[in-house]
Amino acid sequence: MPTDRSAPPAARKAPGGIESAARHVAELFSAPSWLLILAVFALPIVGAVWLSLRNETLGAFVAPRFVGFENYETAFADPRFWESLRTTFLITVIGLAIQLPIGLGLALLLDRALRGTRIFRTILIIPMLLTPVAVGLMWRFMFDTDLGVINWLLGHLPLGAPNWLGARWPALFAVIIVDSWQSIPFVMLIALAGLASLPKGPREAAMIDGANAARVFFHVTLPSLVPVLLVIVMIRVVDAIKLFDVIFIVTQRGGPGTATQTLGMLIYNTGFIFFQTSRAAALGILLVLLVAPVYFLWRHVSRGEH
Amino acid sequence: MIRSARLLGAAALAACLAAPGYAEEINVYLIPSPSSTAIQSFIPAFEEATGITVNVTETPYGEAHQKLLLSVRLGQGQYDVAQFDNTFLAPYGAAGTMQPLDGYLAASDEYDIADFEQGQRDYGKYEGMTLGLTLSTEPMIQWYRTDIYEELGLAPATTWDEYLANAKAIEEAGRGDGHIMGWGPNASWWWMTLVWSFGGHLYDADLNPMVNSPEAVAATAFFKDLLAYGPEGGISASGDDTTNKFLSQDIGAMIQYSGYWGVALDPANSAFVGKLGTAPMPMGAVDITHLAGWNIGIPADAQNPDAGWKFLEFVLGKSNAVDYLLAGAAAIGRMSIASNEELLALHPYLPLLNIPASSRIERYPQIRVWPEVEKAILDALPPILNGEVEIQSALDALNETLKPILEQEMAS
Repeated sequence: MPTDRSAPPAARKAPGGIESAARHVAELFSAPSWLLILAVFALPIVGAVWLSLRNETLGAFVAPRFVGFENYETAFADPRFWESLRTTFLITVIGLAIQLPIGLGLALLLDRALRGTRIFRTILIIPMLLTPVAVGLMWRFMFDTDLGVINWLLGHLPLGAPNWLGARWPALFAVIIVDSWQSIPFVMLIALAGLASLPKGPREAAMIDGANAARVFFHVTLPSLVPVLLVIVMIRVVDAIKLFDVIFIVTQRGGPGTATQTLGMLIYNTGFIFFQTSRAAALGILLVLLVAPVYFLWRHVSRGEH
Repeated sequence: MIRSARLLGAAALAACLAAPGYAEEINVYLIPSPSSTAIQSFIPAFEEATGITVNVTETPYGEAHQKLLLSVRLGQGQYDVAQFDNTFLAPYGAAGTMQPLDGYLAASDEYDIADFEQGQRDYGKYEGMTLGLTLSTEPMIQWYRTDIYEELGLAPATTWDEYLANAKAIEEAGRGDGHIMGWGPNASWWWMTLVWSFGGHLYDADLNPMVNSPEAVAATAFFKDLLAYGPEGGISASGDDTTNKFLSQDIGAMIQYSGYWGVALDPANSAFVGKLGTAPMPMGAVDITHLAGWNIGIPADAQNPDAGWKFLEFVLGKSNAVDYLLAGAAAIGRMSIASNEELLALHPYLPLLNIPASSRIERYPQIRVWPEVEKAILDALPPILNGEVEIQSALDALNETLKPILEQEMAS
């Protein structure tokens, strides 16, 4: 038992190194978790890096050999890689531009103590609870040009009905619409939690000083919410970059042509359709490298909050 | 009468199979499909006849072939029988995934390979070795709505020009869409068919791509022209969507694999049961038959290949050929069942499965890199069909894209 809590830290650690021993025991107890993490995360990543440096393919009896960075060079020389990056970027950026304002707007509405708020909150999070494959199938039918409800509704308007899944831009927007439909509830929930954690004092003080609702939002609420919004942005960016299931179902593996083929879909096609396992591993490593800065930014922001 | 004959046949086969010496258990690897369901319906009878226990693993199409490739690569000996899509014959052949069945075939009167036309005997062959039996024979054929055709006095087309004229006539009469093909994620099925039918080839004997030849350009232009007489959603329709639209909307005709006929028979899926007719695919410059379908064989690392063969012989042999089709499977083109009255009442297209020797059989290219080639084709077609690019220049670009892919095949 520590005897003198007023003593300086160095003096407290000195007698017998009890805290140091306790720390080592604690580390020992956490060893199984570390081993599990090593087995589940670290080894596959090392394996993927190793695979990416070889010429493994499932579809042929070619003796695998070490090829260095050849698979990476192939990826950089392949126009499909750059096109899939561009598509990934477009889906991420346009998706965020839609999801963030709508999610935040809904959170602001639900943050007000209005009647029926709880019911609406429950209804609004339902899309988030559904499996992406089921959602994709449902939307695929809705987007159908001949039988879908969306074009049936648009047919009553003078705008004209696009061929959602048959042309590049409509297909891209179809994917963004489906992803947004599922993701807006997530944005709304996190923003709502952020709003609930804000102290009411500054907002009330601003209103007493005569600021209208818009000024209170833009000058008090929004700046306070920035850390929360940054976390939302980072999570959504990572989600959008690895978006797969919705595209797999709605546009059937990134169609029409390569219109909605993201980097994740290109990896799938390369590994599981073309059987080029090493090339797919190299693309996977590139995807990890693409996502890594977002993770480190997130860590930086989190530390800033502390 | 037919039923009792079948029972006699099955009893005789069971007596032959009762010989001792086979393994107690086999593992069968299937892909969910009507064929897989039909196969499984024979398991109790097989187990009773032979004492061999059959374990079934079903794996969805999207991962089935990858899983089997990996399993055999690891030499785990997990499966004794495996179903596969004919499109994977070349990758399987190149990877040594399946073992040759020619020895078994030569010794089997029950399977009777002579009951198949030559083209179908070759259907499961890779580099001269039979790696898979025919599990379904699915030529691309012409489907048409008998009510619409009768109403407008049309006859099934024998040439592509007639096919287009029929489609125009149906649209002009306001009787619905003229026809349908799948211009979406499986557009390669139809595009290849037209290229072959117009006299073109995807590549030459030295694997040099030829997709920008005058024949291929003409076929592509025709494929695009046909789009105008199909339903709007045809541009994004997959193979399944194409059939579903034909069976649920007023569409005069469809070019599609015969294997979808089972869907057309089911009132739950088809609004036009009893109003559908079939005819050979219209002819272009060359008489071709585009043949597709399932194969089934014995993996190279099978632990009980002889027992696996006995199972294949039992399910797909002559004795059970009729029952196999009645169990809901896509038809197998055995000559001996093509004139069976009971079957013809349900499957009027059966005679079309006996492909005449005059028709050149074309199937999915038997090259290891076919998935990559097909993806490149599928990537190139949408801008052409949407009118965003000129056909010749787009096919020139596709030809260039295919060169390095086909070079990989040559290198291997």
